[in-house]
Amino acid sequence: MSSPATIASTRLKIGLEIHVELATRSKMFTRTANVAHPDHFDAAPNTLVDPVVAALPGALPVLNRRAIEMSIMVGLALDCRIASFSKWDRKNYFYPDLPKGYQISQYDLPLCADGALTLPRPDGTVKRVGITRCHLEEDTGKLGHELPGGLHYDGSLVDLNRAGTPLLEIVTEPDLEDADDTVSFAKELRSICRFLGVTEGIMQRGHMRFEPNINVIIQTSDGHEYATPVVEVKNLNSFRAVKGAIDYERDRQVAAWREDGLVMGPGAKSTRGWDDTRGVTVLQREKEDAHDYRYFPDPDLVPVVVDDAWRETIAASIPELPMKRRARYVSEYGLSPADAVTLTDDPRLCDFYDTAVIATAAATPDLSGPAGLAVAKLLLNAGAKRANETDRAIHELGIGPEQVAQLIALREANEVGSTAADELFGHLCQTDEAARAVAEREGLLQVRDDDALDAWVDAAIAAQPQAADDFAAGKDAAAGRLVGEVMKRSQGKADAKAVRGKLEERLR
Amino acid sequence: MSTDAPIASLADVADAHRRGATTVEATVRSCLERVDRRNDELNSFREVHHAEALAAASTLDERLARGDDVGPLAGVPVAVKDNIVTRAGTTCCGSRILEGYRSPFTATAVERLAAAGAIVIGKTNCDEFAMGSSSEHCAYGPVRNPWDPARVPGGSSGGSAAAVAGGQCPAALGSDTGGSVRQPAALCGVVGVKPSYGRVSRWGLVAFGSSLDQIGPFAASVADAARLLGVMAGPDERDSTCADVPVPDYLARLETPPDPLRIGVPRQYLGDGNDPAVSELIAGKIQLLREAGATIIDIDLPLTTHGIATYYVIAPAEASSNLARFDGIRYGRRAKTGPGDDLFDLYARSRAEGFGPEVKRRIMLGTYVLSAGYYDAYYVRALKVRRLIKNELDGAFAHCDAILGPTSPVPAFPLGERADPLTMYRCDVYTAITNIAGICGISVPAGTIETDGRRLPVGLHLQCPAFAEETMFRIARVCEQLG
Repeated sequence: MSSPATIASTRLKIGLEIHVELATRSKMFTRTANVAHPDHFDAAPNTLVDPVVAALPGALPVLNRRAIEMSIMVGLALDCRIASFSKWDRKNYFYPDLPKGYQISQYDLPLCADGALTLPRPDGTVKRVGITRCHLEEDTGKLGHELPGGLHYDGSLVDLNRAGTPLLEIVTEPDLEDADDTVSFAKELRSICRFLGVTEGIMQRGHMRFEPNINVIIQTSDGHEYATPVVEVKNLNSFRAVKGAIDYERDRQVAAWREDGLVMGPGAKSTRGWDDTRGVTVLQREKEDAHDYRYFPDPDLVPVVVDDAWRETIAASIPELPMKRRARYVSEYGLSPADAVTLTDDPRLCDFYDTAVIATAAATPDLSGPAGLAVAKLLLNAGAKRANETDRAIHELGIGPEQVAQLIALREANEVGSTAADELFGHLCQTDEAARAVAEREGLLQVRDDDALDAWVDAAIAAQPQAADDFAAGKDAAAGRLVGEVMKRSQGKADAKAVRGKLEERLR
Repeated sequence: MSTDAPIASLADVADAHRRGATTVEATVRSCLERVDRRNDELNSFREVHHAEALAAASTLDERLARGDDVGPLAGVPVAVKDNIVTRAGTTCCGSRILEGYRSPFTATAVERLAAAGAIVIGKTNCDEFAMGSSSEHCAYGPVRNPWDPARVPGGSSGGSAAAVAGGQCPAALGSDTGGSVRQPAALCGVVGVKPSYGRVSRWGLVAFGSSLDQIGPFAASVADAARLLGVMAGPDERDSTCADVPVPDYLARLETPPDPLRIGVPRQYLGDGNDPAVSELIAGKIQLLREAGATIIDIDLPLTTHGIATYYVIAPAEASSNLARFDGIRYGRRAKTGPGDDLFDLYARSRAEGFGPEVKRRIMLGTYVLSAGYYDAYYVRALKVRRLIKNELDGAFAHCDAILGPTSPVPAFPLGERADPLTMYRCDVYTAITNIAGICGISVPAGTIETDGRRLPVGLHLQCPAFAEETMFRIARVCEQLG
């Protein structure tokens, strides 16, 4: 069936399910190390396995409270209500990556619910995205068909390293209406989780997986509204894939509706996967065939009771979140929004920056302009340049926040020139010594000594007679060549202002 | 009685080793001989740990010789039900699906016994995954009752009950989900305890009904059972349902009867469902208690008649999920598959070959009651009834210290007699509510009755509030000494 009326407008309706692997030290229900913790990212297959992970007979789960604390941090950051009482349920199904034959999850009493995240848009408007719930569950293992080293194996291989990693599932309301907002939301959520320290957020490792539920509201010229069947796209682990899947689905669903006129209804939901190379979604399961998971309360575990004191302790451990930091950098320090985004990309860089700003303000209280701006300029110029060259993060170059403050103090007092400042930054990446000591040793302090300056100026005038004549004749532009000559001879150490003064004295 | 000469108390056994009157090795050797002598007849042991037990015995003897305090169970031989994992030997749960399975760890309860000086001598047969009341549903053959080998020992911990009753060892561990320690204890004429839920760690007990399961001891006397439980009980960080409740010294006041002593006798417990001789024997004990100064209180527990129905919803529901891990993927039996077979075939065939009919029946039952559309009508309702039964028992315990009745409505029955599952399920009529309510219970030998020309033992059942084991043992001690 195709509709007789023409399409007047279409509007996307998107809800997200996000799985976050929490970086607890040990797994969710046993002491064995967690593969989502940085110390164990590259553990060899099936080395993070114990009787609980392998579901051996007689093994029992015991809750890792840290997983609860991390989940509550995320819940609070998303303005959720934290349940004082929640419990564990078993989701029963058979699959080789699920050792117990059930997954421990939270069915009807999630740990966090009813929150929201309000995103600023580039155009100054905001987008509020409702958070339905956040519940905690355990991750499954992985199935593969390759031996270590990439050799094909004729059969299935199970790696249980990931089995039992705490997995926080965040479910949003279907409040999103385009791919850009959805990606901004996804990025902001990743950023929040990274700042909370609950995950490294490395997308390629699957630390965060996004599953958008997408459909399109079609308005026809005759005033009718049609909602296309909801599609859940599974396991997207890049922002590009999130955007690609949404844009693709908009077109596909509208085209499908033109073709068959099918609208959303019971059982109409389907599941699709994303083919990254072809840039298309691929049907995985036709109907969400109400798979019967036979949820029931897990009798091996006691309910989770979160009292006020515990919740307050957790709340107190939450650092300033990236969105707030960015706003502060722009309004208080005068940073450009783009620079604010760069500095809040990695929580460690951001903490480095904040520490350096505090140190700078302390070292140079009468700084011309905000310390935040001076530090940002230094890190995003001298720092970013070296970070690019050495393929390291700015905060990992070796220079410390105190050294940054010392360097800025020297520059502010005009004791080092801009070229020398950049060079000094480089030296400070190699040593823990104070900036002044390094500048002295490396001869980077500006020279204002009259005798030395006179000698360089004399030599410059002799070397550039034409420029000297021009300058004497009143051509200001000629000064540049003479100052440059002095700088060359002084290896950048001459105080440019003093040189200019001497030229005027001498030639005018 | 057809059993061997009365076994010395565990205290005496341990004491003899401490004093050096005999060696642990000698005790263990003679114990192993008794096990071997009767095992063809009883089939109580699936596996005997000769070498491991003798090695442990000589280690203990060395320590004793050095003057070490080796614990309150110094050199006491103990048999362990086959659904409790031990590093030594195999753990098969009476099932083909776990044939030859070796556990890399030992159950907390067994570890604690061993740390107290006990010597594990082997694994005892049981109904498959503890599902049964006769120890006939065992992949390694049925266990027989030492009082009459043509009869069952009860179940599911029948091997452990028969081992103690048959004089093969002085103590054994079983597990009790709906009566699986107490009912075989009654049918074999020994003491059997179902501790309060959370009293003993379940780490290492292969789960059947996780909210009901408890490990419990078998012994020849109340004092021995109390000694064993005292060693095993207490919190365990590996089991979050194991309660952080202090463990009193069960032996300190064992010989002091509670005073006053109020015994509740539910009118539902001595009715038509029982073998009349069983009712008569228990009624006689009640009269003796009254004469001894106890206050006998007539109580009404109308909801307990729903105990079996409630139990047979909750236990299979949990079991259907607990047994999902036996899938042929990581360990246990894996069926042979050929070209064209898929994952489903591997699962279906492994489980079809590995599980016996009773286990399959309960997995199907449990899957059914948890299924969409039936969940509220069965599982949720059963949980409500469970709460009501708990409340009813709490109400009763406001007026009495213990609830008394027969452990089993009938004495040991001939093998094959209760082939109909529903008849079999009725064996748990008095015991299942203990597990449903999470309270504690004990079966104490109450004497014998004559059935078909055979003297068969009858068990007296006491139930006490959760974590009131100390009182329960003291009352059981009174009952044990009634004429």
